[in-house]
Amino acid sequence: MAQPPLRIGHLYAEEMNIYGDRGNILTLSKRAGWRGIDVRVEPIGRGPSPDLAEYDLLFWGGGQDRDQELVFADANEHKLASIKEAVAQGSVVLAVCGGYQLLGAYYVTAERQRLPGLGLVDLHTEPGARRNIGNVLIDVPGLGLEPPTLVGFENHSGRTYLGANVEPLGRVVKGAGNNGKDGTEGVRAGNIFGTYLHGSLLPKNPHFADLLILRALARRAPTELAPLDMSVELDAHQALVRRLTG
Amino acid sequence: MVAVQNGILGSARLSLAVSAGKLAGHTGRLLRVGGGTSLPGMVARALDPDVLRKMVGSTRARKLVVTGSNGKTTTCRMIAALAGAAGQRVFQNRTGSNLIQGITSVAVNGATIGGRLDTDLLIFETDEATMRLAVPEVKPDAIVVTNIFRDQLDRFGELYSVAASLEAMIGELPAESSAILNADDPLIASFAPEAKARRIYFGVRSEQVGAAVPEHAADTIRCVRCQHDLEYRKVYISHLGAYRCPNCGYERPPIDVAVTHAELSGTASTVELETPAGPLRLHLPLPGLHNIYNAAAAVAAAVGLGLDLSEAAAALADLRPAFGRLEEITAGERNVVLGFVKNPISYNTTLRTVLTRPGRKHVLAAHSNTVVDGEDFAWLWDVDLEELTPQLASLVVSGTKAEEVAMRFKYAGVDEPSIQVVPDRPAALEAALQNVESGGTLYILSGYTPTHELRRAMVQRGWVAPFWEE
Repeated sequence: MAQPPLRIGHLYAEEMNIYGDRGNILTLSKRAGWRGIDVRVEPIGRGPSPDLAEYDLLFWGGGQDRDQELVFADANEHKLASIKEAVAQGSVVLAVCGGYQLLGAYYVTAERQRLPGLGLVDLHTEPGARRNIGNVLIDVPGLGLEPPTLVGFENHSGRTYLGANVEPLGRVVKGAGNNGKDGTEGVRAGNIFGTYLHGSLLPKNPHFADLLILRALARRAPTELAPLDMSVELDAHQALVRRLTG
Repeated sequence: MVAVQNGILGSARLSLAVSAGKLAGHTGRLLRVGGGTSLPGMVARALDPDVLRKMVGSTRARKLVVTGSNGKTTTCRMIAALAGAAGQRVFQNRTGSNLIQGITSVAVNGATIGGRLDTDLLIFETDEATMRLAVPEVKPDAIVVTNIFRDQLDRFGELYSVAASLEAMIGELPAESSAILNADDPLIASFAPEAKARRIYFGVRSEQVGAAVPEHAADTIRCVRCQHDLEYRKVYISHLGAYRCPNCGYERPPIDVAVTHAELSGTASTVELETPAGPLRLHLPLPGLHNIYNAAAAVAAAVGLGLDLSEAAAALADLRPAFGRLEEITAGERNVVLGFVKNPISYNTTLRTVLTRPGRKHVLAAHSNTVVDGEDFAWLWDVDLEELTPQLASLVVSGTKAEEVAMRFKYAGVDEPSIQVVPDRPAALEAALQNVESGGTLYILSGYTPTHELRRAMVQRGWVAPFWEE
């Protein structure tokens, strides 16, 4: 039976692209493509939304405060209902950095401007005194990742706090993570994933890229992914793990 | 006591600092560790933190500061050539050592033992993040801002905060000074409308070059005033072009030094410029539209300094590329083109120039994660390496980030087993040259530290002079 195509919606590709987010899209497309899966990536900009439940995976990345202001307003006006519908139908959401902040109730910018978020997950973001910049290593139990770690680079002044019943994506081993205090990094809620890790996130975490692809495809039909040689990717992953723990 | 210290002891201290700085530079050069660039300034500042302020404050020479993301080093060299041709004596940091130590070295190297700077023009290439330290000490007569692209966000924070601090400095320039600004960069063109300094805009108004739509790595494509999407009639590089906001009417300002005609080849360009001092026709022995921007910035700086431009064409005609800016090196039976790349824009610009050359390309790509190179290589994913893949003849990756570079090329479509991973720089150079047939060319695309290391390996082979002897 022919594999159905993997449809990826890249939200705000123009506005939220400052941290090499193209690497995430490239990794998803290539890793699916190498397995013979047809991939369609469609950029979705500001303005009236297409039916987002058509997409198996929705991705949005990080931007500068000025860009985020526009995106938060547009997302609430045009995208919220459609994103909720997509989530209800099992679409996978990956939101990085500024995009992660958009998942929550609100984000207060460095200029103390309060931007209402989408409220998809119980979290909020406050401004911090200084930027958290540097490499990050987190332990991610419970997702079946092997190795059970994610690596990346963070660069954010916002401090994100999770609600009481919300699960972080992982536990910080090195770096600041959500707020530099409680040891949490990112968020996971069903098929919604949010994180401060970029650098880019998915190239150096191919096992996590595969998990997202698998869950996105599983929405349409039960699926298995053929194994791929990922020694180059895992070398880069492990080199960073060694440097951060050595 | 305080008065005495500022008098005799103060000048003795200055003299000691300058002498020690000069000695450190000489020793560095003798030991071949590369001493002329930042070491003299570092030593002198350790002995007298005020050394730069004192020397620059007592000289009659005019001071020019050049900053921006890309093109600083080449623009500085062009300004120096124009000033030299106009009979000016010039000191500058020629090799791109643009942090506060390198800037102090300009003065230390040029000064007498007593700390006197007997010259006409001081040109300080200055890193954006160093501007807030350098500008109060140097008190420039003119500031040139070449462009603002995303560049090492892990060091600089966000684009707009870099821009805001530059804008504040332009706003504080005194009335008799000049601000030389890129009209085609919507962010820079909007700087400090109330500034007292004379404002000189440079830019491109040529129909022969440029495209209709911004490329994907463009940084500022919305109006700086009202956030509406800008409309571009013409895009030259990334977000540089002829723009207008359909919502509030903000648009590219009238250009004082304008490139009106441009013809490019893979190795050189011919341009015509309109300037307040009359038209100019220049032949630039450097490839690419980015070097046309550098030339326009340099001519605008010369206009700001009131330099005689009658010898400008001759001054720029025999310019050589700056260190690592597609520098052509003869390596025995082979050729090396050394391309220093540091952000998506400089990488894409360099790549496009390399791709205009015929034949398949042997490439050595190297990046390291030192303090000056940065830790964050996310930007490599914004480089259009996919365009290089079909033209590759061989690929060696190197540097402390060799695995990451290998991975980027894998996702750009290069067959993984064909990528040679050689982290050690001299060994990588050796391996890469072995791939090249006699008479062929190796293209090196590398970050700051690996570029220095690879060049040093070629210096040791006697293929090229150390950069401080240029």
